[in-house]
Amino acid sequence: MSFDGFPPFISAQLHYLINHFHEKIKVEQVSSGGKTYAGGLDRFTLHIPYCLDYVKWDIIYNAEFPFASPDIIFGPEDEDFHPLHMTGSVGEGGSKFRNILSDWNHKDPTRLLALIQELRDQYMAYQKKRVGEVDDDRLTFEISTICSREGIEMQISSGAEKPKEVKFAVPLMDMNINKMVHGFPWRHPQKIYLQVIYPVGKKYSSTPSPPRLKLMSTAELGALFSIEDVKLPSWLDGMCMAEYLPHLEESLQKQVVESVSLIDVRRRFIESLTPLFGRPLEADPVFCGKATFLASSGSFVFLVHFLISTQFPKQRPAVMLQSSQHISPQGIPKKSPLLSEYPWSPRWEASQMAERIFDFLVDESLNFKRFCNESQPQH
Amino acid sequence: MRMSSSRPKEGNRGKMKMEGVEGDASAGGAVRYTLNPTRISSEDILFCVDVDAESLLEMKTAGVTRLDSIKQAILVFVNSKLSINPDHRFAFATLSKSASWLRKEFSSDVESTIAAVRALSATTVSSSQADLTNLFRLAAHEAKKSRAQNRILRVILIYCRSSIRPHHQWSVNQKLFTLDVMYLHDKPGPDNCPQAVYDALVDALEHVSEYEGYIHESGHGLPRTLFRFMSMLLCHPQQRCPQDDCDIPKPLVKKAAEPANGEDNVHASISR
Repeated sequence: MSFDGFPPFISAQLHYLINHFHEKIKVEQVSSGGKTYAGGLDRFTLHIPYCLDYVKWDIIYNAEFPFASPDIIFGPEDEDFHPLHMTGSVGEGGSKFRNILSDWNHKDPTRLLALIQELRDQYMAYQKKRVGEVDDDRLTFEISTICSREGIEMQISSGAEKPKEVKFAVPLMDMNINKMVHGFPWRHPQKIYLQVIYPVGKKYSSTPSPPRLKLMSTAELGALFSIEDVKLPSWLDGMCMAEYLPHLEESLQKQVVESVSLIDVRRRFIESLTPLFGRPLEADPVFCGKATFLASSGSFVFLVHFLISTQFPKQRPAVMLQSSQHISPQGIPKKSPLLSEYPWSPRWEASQMAERIFDFLVDESLNFKRFCNESQPQH
Repeated sequence: MRMSSSRPKEGNRGKMKMEGVEGDASAGGAVRYTLNPTRISSEDILFCVDVDAESLLEMKTAGVTRLDSIKQAILVFVNSKLSINPDHRFAFATLSKSASWLRKEFSSDVESTIAAVRALSATTVSSSQADLTNLFRLAAHEAKKSRAQNRILRVILIYCRSSIRPHHQWSVNQKLFTLDVMYLHDKPGPDNCPQAVYDALVDALEHVSEYEGYIHESGHGLPRTLFRFMSMLLCHPQQRCPQDDCDIPKPLVKKAAEPANGEDNVHASISR
C-alpha cells in the first residue's frame, strides 16, 4: 500500500503502524485539513480490528504543525471513552497514554503504533468496565466465569432502534493449529473464535434464552476446513458459557484433527491419479486441494484441473479442462465449465475413483476438443 | 532427424525423442509418484526471447513467423500458469548479442503481459554471437529479491538461431535460478549446426540451473509443437522429475484402443 500525498513524517508513522500491528488495519477517508493542499494529506480514518469487528477512529494530524501529536476522534457510540481521564488500575494506562502524547516526537516512525496500541488497550478496559456495570444478573454471572480466559474482548452495542447487547469475542482452543499441518502452511497463527451476543436489560423469571452464537475464524483456515460447516453443540436450558465452552472446544478439537487427517486422504487421491494422468504440472502439497495435469487427445493438448474440496470424498472433485492451443485475441484460453457429472462413490478405492474419472474425461475431452475447434481453428 | 548430445551427461537428456512422435506414454524408469507435504514457492518467471533476425523466419503456417508463434505461446503459458496458481509472476527480456530488459517488474497482471508481448520485435540484422552471461547476471540479481519474498526464479529462454552457439561465463557454484530452454531451429543442413547449438544450450542449462531444467527443441516449424512443448514447461521446478522420466502429456484414450502415435486416427470405415 502506498501513501502518496502524505508528508514524509506521517507516511513513515502510518507505514510502521500497518506493518507492525498484529492484525490488519485499514486506512480510509484520507483527506487534508488545510485550506490549501500545500501541506499535503493529514487526516484519515483507521479501521482497527476489535471484538471480531472494527472500531473506526479518525486520526487528525496537522501537516503545517508537525510537532503536535495527532488528535483522535472516536466513534459516536463511545462518547464516554476518555482515555486521558481513566482512573483506578486502568488509570496507569491512562498515564501511559498521557506520556505518549506529551513526549510526542514526530520524527519517530514508531509513535503512531505505540499510540494506537495503547489506545486499543484502553478501549478494551473501557468496554470491560461498561459491560461490568450492566444491570443484568445473568450477564454479570457469565462474565465472572469466563473473564479469566485469555484474550477475550467485549463490547456493548446499542443504537437508536436496537436493544442493548453485549458482544463477546472468545478465542477458542489452546491448540496450535499451525503446527498440526505438515509443511508450515501459514505465516500467521490461525485462530477460531466464538462470538457470543447477549441481549441486555431483560429480566426473566424463568430460564433465560440462549445467547446468539457464531463461530468465526481467521480467513486462511478455510483451506483446512470450512468454519461454516461446523455444527455448534446445542445450548441446553440453563447453561452458562463456562459449561458450554469446554464442550464446544472438545468438539472443535475433534473437527480439526479430522480435517488434518483428510488432507492425506486428498493426497492419496492425487497420487492415485498419476498412473493414468501422468505427473501433475503442479499440485498443492500442503492442503492437497488442487492439482493440474497435462493431457492430450490426438494432437490436442490441454490442461486438466482438479479441485478437491475439504468435503472430499463425500463431495467429488470438480474438473475443468483448459486448452493449450485455443486462445482469444486477449489471450484468454478456452476452458470447459466445471465438470462433476461422473460416476462417484465415496466408498471406492482411490484407484477406482481415478479410473472412473479417467473414463469420463476420455469422452468429455472429445466434446471439449470439438467445442474449441468450432469456435476457432487449432493452431 | 535425431538430436543427441555429443557429451556424456548425467541424465540422458541429449537423446531427444524423434520429432513427430507425440504423446509418448512410456514412463522410462519412473518411480511411483508421491506428493510430499513440503511447501512450494510461487514463481517469478523471466522470459528471455531471442529477437535475432532468425526469429522472423516463417513457421510452416504461411505468414506466421517464429516470433508470432512465440508471442502466442507466451500468452497461453502465462494464462495457463495463472490458472494453476494466480500468484505466479512474469517479467520479460530480449536476447540479441546479449540480454536486455523488456519489462523488468514481475507481475501477475495479464494485461501487462499482453503489452510486453506486443512490444517484442526482432532486430533487422543478425547478431554474430549470443552471450548469455548478462542474462544470468540479471537473473541472479532478481533471484535474490525473489528469494527474499519466498519465491523462486526461473528463466525460460526461447532461442531461434541455427548456427550461432550461445556462450556464457558463469561460476559453477552459482545455482540461483532454474533455466528452461525452448529451441526453434531450421532443419540441419550443410550450412548450419543446430546440433551444436543444442549441445551448447544443454551445457548452459546444466551449468546454471538450480532445479532440474527442461529443454525442448523443434525444427519442423509447427506452431502446435511449440505450444505443446511450452505446456510441458508449466511444470513447477520444485515438483519435477528428471526430464527423461517425463511422461506427459498422457493421451486420454480408452485403454483397449491406445494408438501407436498420438495423431488423430483417420479410420477407414469398414463396410459390412
